[in-house]
Amino acid sequence: MHLAHGPVLVFIALSTPTVAQHVEVESFVLDNGMEFLLVERTEQPNSIAAGWVAKVGSVNERPGITGISHFFEHMMFKGTRTIGTRDADLDAEYIAGQEAIKGQLNELIWTVQYQRFRRGEIDDPWNAANDTDQMRTLRAELRELAEKHRDIIVKDEYSEVYTKLGGSSMNAFTSEDLTFYFVNVPSNKFELWAWMESDRLYDSVFREFYAERDVVHEERRLRTESTPTGKFREQFNAMFWQSSPYAWPVIGWPSDLNSYTRKEAQRYFNIYYRPNNLVGVVVGDFQASAIKPIIREYFGRLSRGEANPPAVVTLEVEQRAQMRMDAQCDCQPQVEVRYHTVPFGHVDSFALELMAEVLNGRTGRLYKAMVEGQEIASSASAGADGRKYAGAFSFRAQVKGDADPPQLEEAWYEQLARLQEEPVPQRELQKVKNRIAANAYRRLQSNFFLLIQLGLFEGIGGWEYINESPAKLQAVTTDDITRIANTYFDKSNRAVALYTRKAGLEPQDVELAALDAPTRDRVQQQVNQLLKVKDLGRLQMMAAMMEGMMDQVPPDDQAAVKYVVKKIKERIAELESSSGN
Amino acid sequence: MPIPQPSIIAIGIAGLIGLEAIADIPPHPQQIVFAPLVFEPPQAGEYRHTLDNGVTVYLAPSHEFPLINIVFTFKGGRYLDPADQVGLAAATGAMMRRGGTTTVSAQDMDEEFDFLAANASSSAGLTQSSASLNCLASNFGQCFARFIDMVRNPGFQESRLAIYKQETLEQMKQRNDHAARILSREWRFLLYGDNHFEAALPTESSIESLTADDLQWMHRRIFHPGNLIVAVTGDFEPKIMLQELQDAFDDWAFGEPVSDPPAPHTTLEPGVYHVEKDIPQGRVSIGLRAIRRDDPDYFPMLLMNRILGGGGFVSRIVSRVRSDEGLAYSARSAMSPRVHYRGEFRASFQSKNPTVALAMKIILQEIQRIRSEPVSDDELATAQNALIETFPRTFESKAGMLNLFVNDELTNREPDYWQTYRDNVRAVTPADIMRVAQTYLLADQMAMVVVGKWDEIASGDLEGRANMSDFFSGAVTHLPLRDPLTLRPMN
Repeated sequence: MHLAHGPVLVFIALSTPTVAQHVEVESFVLDNGMEFLLVERTEQPNSIAAGWVAKVGSVNERPGITGISHFFEHMMFKGTRTIGTRDADLDAEYIAGQEAIKGQLNELIWTVQYQRFRRGEIDDPWNAANDTDQMRTLRAELRELAEKHRDIIVKDEYSEVYTKLGGSSMNAFTSEDLTFYFVNVPSNKFELWAWMESDRLYDSVFREFYAERDVVHEERRLRTESTPTGKFREQFNAMFWQSSPYAWPVIGWPSDLNSYTRKEAQRYFNIYYRPNNLVGVVVGDFQASAIKPIIREYFGRLSRGEANPPAVVTLEVEQRAQMRMDAQCDCQPQVEVRYHTVPFGHVDSFALELMAEVLNGRTGRLYKAMVEGQEIASSASAGADGRKYAGAFSFRAQVKGDADPPQLEEAWYEQLARLQEEPVPQRELQKVKNRIAANAYRRLQSNFFLLIQLGLFEGIGGWEYINESPAKLQAVTTDDITRIANTYFDKSNRAVALYTRKAGLEPQDVELAALDAPTRDRVQQQVNQLLKVKDLGRLQMMAAMMEGMMDQVPPDDQAAVKYVVKKIKERIAELESSSGN
Repeated sequence: MPIPQPSIIAIGIAGLIGLEAIADIPPHPQQIVFAPLVFEPPQAGEYRHTLDNGVTVYLAPSHEFPLINIVFTFKGGRYLDPADQVGLAAATGAMMRRGGTTTVSAQDMDEEFDFLAANASSSAGLTQSSASLNCLASNFGQCFARFIDMVRNPGFQESRLAIYKQETLEQMKQRNDHAARILSREWRFLLYGDNHFEAALPTESSIESLTADDLQWMHRRIFHPGNLIVAVTGDFEPKIMLQELQDAFDDWAFGEPVSDPPAPHTTLEPGVYHVEKDIPQGRVSIGLRAIRRDDPDYFPMLLMNRILGGGGFVSRIVSRVRSDEGLAYSARSAMSPRVHYRGEFRASFQSKNPTVALAMKIILQEIQRIRSEPVSDDELATAQNALIETFPRTFESKAGMLNLFVNDELTNREPDYWQTYRDNVRAVTPADIMRVAQTYLLADQMAMVVVGKWDEIASGDLEGRANMSDFFSGAVTHLPLRDPLTLRPMN
């Protein structure tokens, strides 16, 4: 049955909650500059979610060391002088030994191998298969030393201590702007967290450095190189950000990932992992008065950095012309249109967020217009991404049926024009605000999620955002949305990525699959040309000619010719049947 | 304000530590003296109610936020799909929320829920289906009335069904795009058989055949009080909530309760299987079907798996494949017992093509080791402590706790399972672990499924430490890629 559309329901009152949500946060700063945020919550008894944020991410890097913030995050789980070794002094010796060899290897690669690579003598300066004899010797020495080292390493003791004592969900992540380390501990084991975290901030030791770098390479292959769109999104991002350090990926460029040394990591630690650049966050079943002395005792022993970390000075330059990317991938055809907007907490960020909400969801404009109306999209969404130093607004959609990405792009510009020209109706805006108000409660329910939000906000702007943003979002007017829609969405301020599906093997084309790759490409091209021919007579003549000449074709090429003949005949049949109708 | 939980006795650390200065920092965290944390798992019975019509309801109120969360869980799911209409139950579950009701159009229902800031959802899983509502307590009445209308009288509006079918087809077209999807599909085909519901996938023709009448038929089979258990958490008074539910269910007819899910009948053919995909990193699953959930060997298997590869960084596979050798970002093992038939043990990882064989070899070495040597007392203690110390978190959120109770009741789990859980964990010995490893981890009975670029995988690593002829004497079954819309092999 199909029911009538239209507003058959009458809403008597708006459902905005009368009581605004408010998180009670106790914030204080130790003498060494480390800040703490505490939220007592007994609703989920017996456990505490705890974490800390280092205000450092890929935005603080430079070419040559891209990805080091993330790599560093991995190294922080390798232990300290106490945790992870049977002999701290010997441990230090082994590490220094490996460091010296790796230094020599790097020098050789950057000079000899890079030069051979530039001349075209080798395909990859980092591939061990291309090593010189000297390098092979060094690499064997490095391996031998790492194996000896393993004898005095207490494997993953850092994780073991937590695991044994009830720590769970221990992990960390790195973003463009910050690095976040977190864990859940039973409520009687807060001191364990203080011990473990202050210890690794106090004297972290970067052991198993080179094996861990291979792990990060695998992570890069997993997330970026082996996913349908990963490598293209990375490229789009690098195109979109021009001068900003947001241009490189958090995981880093492969050559940089290969290059950095423990010394570089140590330098990074000394600059960015000083207490005056850190924020601790604790949420859960505790009393602040009981844990504050523990915090002071343990984290108070860290010494303040000599200077504050250097500022990120390079601002994104103004975009002057539209940028476009055309990608062919094993993926659903799709489109992204991205605009430079404003950083986190900017006065216009609230209206941009509301604009995205007006567009999103099953009652949002994109679904109604593209999924339900024109039926050209299988999904469509918009998002505002405010980072610490700059921001972006994106439209993304995937095609449905025979639609193509340019149609989705056009459909987006129509929606944008509507927002630029007509005020958003009050009721539509109210609906979005109602949802935002209710979600302001929903996002506080889990200790762990609350911890993450407080850390993220404090890391890029200020934790107070959690309490202040709901009112600021409620205050956005239809005029605000019209204004921002006319401020940030010029053609010259956009970057467009179109993804089309790379031609794959059709199920029936077994013959084509059997050909070797260069022949396959040549034959495919030829067939594509033939499929454009509409002249039935010409096609019939070509087929007859090729069949007639089959005896003269070298045996190796016969399969290819047979395939082309088959495709011509299919095309003939297709043309005949359509003319018959 | 929190509601006191009579069954949970937590001693806050505040009372025990005192406020005097803390002694010097102990040299090692094992030396910290912790206050005891006494925890007794909650009893399901304390939260359980029965409506007049016999439907079970679990209630756990909490007034911290002005939200109410209702979850209807129904026994029955995708195993009820007719053979030629795979995808019917999933479509029914999804379309309840998307297709309006018999009296309200889909678009108006969406508008109503959105304007009221309510999150309503519905879905059909493999063996259970659900409908849930999360809304503000202030407009609960209106939200709940529409929610009940949605659950009882779904409209399955034609225009929305057409969109759903088209979306499903677009999803299907992406079946060969990501190696992970190829692997999980072939894995399930091998372990459970093409036609078992764990493995069965919709095709273009099965989806195109679906009509609103078919959905109504499936809806009548699953979504009725005879299959239902209700759980409610959030800001409400139990008495009033019970009355609301009572009223809503008043004239709701009981249908025939569904049968149990069928067991698979396939026999796993051990060996190496490969699907070609041009990516730099191979993706691998190794394993076989092992035990049922209520098997007496459940606890030894649980601990064996934690030590072998399911316990994070501390476990052997992660330690060797990832931290020693740097061969993978993610390497692990998992044990997934099923309620009605034996579920799988599976080790999995992703590694650059040339080191796939090496990582496989290491995993098989570890399987051999846990079969032939008793685990150390220390390793076992770490695994036992981890389960015991994190046990209270199982009941951390009220919604999560009720979800456990509902699931236990729907699957007839032994009633004292949680009460005896920690004792059962403690009772496992190194000998038990070696015994279950010997019983179930039979490497020559396992499937080893690899998706990646074969010419780079086959020859193995540069240093010659392993290559693919190390397994099953080099025998490999190359599985063809399947047509994404028909699932027929592509050659």
